[in-house]
Amino acid sequence: MSDKAKSVSRRQFTAGAALAAAPLFIPSHVLGQRFGSTAPSDKITFGGIGIGSRGTSSVRAVLSYQDARFLAVADVRNDRREAIKTMVDQRYQDNGCKTYNTHEELLDRDDIDGVIIATGDRWHTPMSILAAKAGKHIYCEKPCSMTIEESQALKAAVDRYGILYQAGCQRRNGKNFVLAMNWAREGKLGKLKALHCNAGTGTIWPPKPTHDWLPAEPEPAKEVVDWDRWLGPSPWRPYNSHYVQGRWRGYFDFHGGGILEWGSHTADLCQYANDADDTQPVEYEPQGANTTPYFVYCKYANGVELIHRDAFWLGLGTCSVRFEGDNGWIETGDSGKIMVSDNLKGELPPPEQGNAFNLTLHYHWRDFIECIKSGSQPKSNATAAANTHIGCHAAYIAYQLGRKLTWDPVKQEFVNDDEANRMRTRELRAPWRLV
Amino acid sequence: MSQQTAAPAKEAKPAPPKPQRPPVPPVPPEFQADRIMKLDAPSLIRILQDPNSSEFEKSKACMQLALVGDKNAVPALAALLSNPKLSHYARFGLVPIPDPSVDEAFRATLSTAKGTLLVSMIDAIGQRRDTGAVEALKPFVYGSDKDAALAAIASLGMISGPAAPVLLEALQKTSDPLRKEVAAAGLVCAEMFLNRGERQQAMDLYTRLSQPDIPKVVRLAAMHNILAAERH
Repeated sequence: MSDKAKSVSRRQFTAGAALAAAPLFIPSHVLGQRFGSTAPSDKITFGGIGIGSRGTSSVRAVLSYQDARFLAVADVRNDRREAIKTMVDQRYQDNGCKTYNTHEELLDRDDIDGVIIATGDRWHTPMSILAAKAGKHIYCEKPCSMTIEESQALKAAVDRYGILYQAGCQRRNGKNFVLAMNWAREGKLGKLKALHCNAGTGTIWPPKPTHDWLPAEPEPAKEVVDWDRWLGPSPWRPYNSHYVQGRWRGYFDFHGGGILEWGSHTADLCQYANDADDTQPVEYEPQGANTTPYFVYCKYANGVELIHRDAFWLGLGTCSVRFEGDNGWIETGDSGKIMVSDNLKGELPPPEQGNAFNLTLHYHWRDFIECIKSGSQPKSNATAAANTHIGCHAAYIAYQLGRKLTWDPVKQEFVNDDEANRMRTRELRAPWRLV
Repeated sequence: MSQQTAAPAKEAKPAPPKPQRPPVPPVPPEFQADRIMKLDAPSLIRILQDPNSSEFEKSKACMQLALVGDKNAVPALAALLSNPKLSHYARFGLVPIPDPSVDEAFRATLSTAKGTLLVSMIDAIGQRRDTGAVEALKPFVYGSDKDAALAAIASLGMISGPAAPVLLEALQKTSDPLRKEVAAAGLVCAEMFLNRGERQQAMDLYTRLSQPDIPKVVRLAAMHNILAAERH
């Protein structure tokens, strides 16, 4: 690398922005592309990109709101384009949902305020940056990035264009999780000692994805599945239908393993509980084989521990978290149930009634829509998401290398570890890029 | 409560059984990567130089060299930059290597590469923040290959510094849709100035990009960034 390039590295390009709180000073609707052409009472309009089973839940949420309207879908798979169009048109009793083979056609539309990005992980950051460049607000499924560099670039792009970003880390708005996080933040647990985040099950999505390829199959016609577009920024490999049918997880080119898959939800809650949305842990020590049980022991600069682990939970559901202080502990998960230390049992409110998963998603979507109206930052904004993901990538890198790593959150680099630092990034396949 | 949380059906019917998905096929021996990902740099370089190595073996060797390669790996990786199947993998391996010979390797491709390979090389130069490539990138901004022009504009934005005058000139000499990309690259360029502490250069650029002749999305973004910079 040239001397000048060394002094103006891509780390510097984004690192400064990655750490700071989101600098939004103009209400977001002012920066939205439709500013000046629509009345405030107008519905907020959305398009969807890469809508599979998970994204369909978000489309359903939009369809259920009187103040929002879903207008169009873009997908490289024709079966998914048609499935979403059918669902949307049935809901609105018309034939208005447009379908596009490419995201460019959808992003070019001036009448769309925001996009739902629910592609595979490999596309999340490049697509978010393209959407930001088009002036769209973004709801993006998690994990939001494939690397530390992507996390930084994502936040930089959102800040650059002043649009709003909500990561699909909906538990930040789930009532049971909010209660647990607030107890940690407000001191009810005493001085915080340790935050535990569920890292899934190592037997399903191990912490170290494979570099293998599945056997080659004949590529379908481009109109049926556009394989080149499906791969997008990922390195080329031969087509196999299993990837396209949702079995792309567990492959290094497409997936960050169990730590990123689950940590993007659960470490995210710990970040907020520790009031650490603007930073990351400084130490990462992996333990275990590439199966269950596995752990990554992390530590924040304020001394609080963060422990990624896939085992020894109390059985309160997926995405469990446990916060421990010197005055007690609290643990909760996707069941909505909450368990606490004996001294705190009298302080628990009655449990919320209803389907915890659906309610949590609903609260998260309402947070996003209300923020688009007000110009406020949503709970899972780009700053919070980027810093959570950087921490998860650091834990993932420590696990891949099998050694303890020290991280400098200011310089955004591992201390004295060239190999780990090189793992902060990976090259995107042309023509996709991070600006 | 939203309509999203639907009430349960009045008459619960048993859900139809989900169709069984076929099992994921076993990985064939020729596509198993572990044996390659554990090799040291000299062994990985030998894979790249061996005419009997498969594309799979070479692709994985490139990826691993991204982590453990040094200047000794550059010639073997650079030799693959013109290979349509392996060019991206070679770039994947080369970009993280901290040696000036990598920049020379990418610049050398600019006179011969075409189509997507050319775009990829220009993108790599931007990723490397290669200030020495600014003059070499400039002609692509005005060339007939629109994809190469987009790549060059994006790379100039990332390089920043000496690329800023090139972008300002391009704002005068290009027309939409290319000009919109030039303006967007200007935002990136200004951000780089700010991150390096060169505030005045950043503000000058933002001010230019906030003028009425600039496409609306970029103009609003430039105003937003001026306010943000003022606050900091």
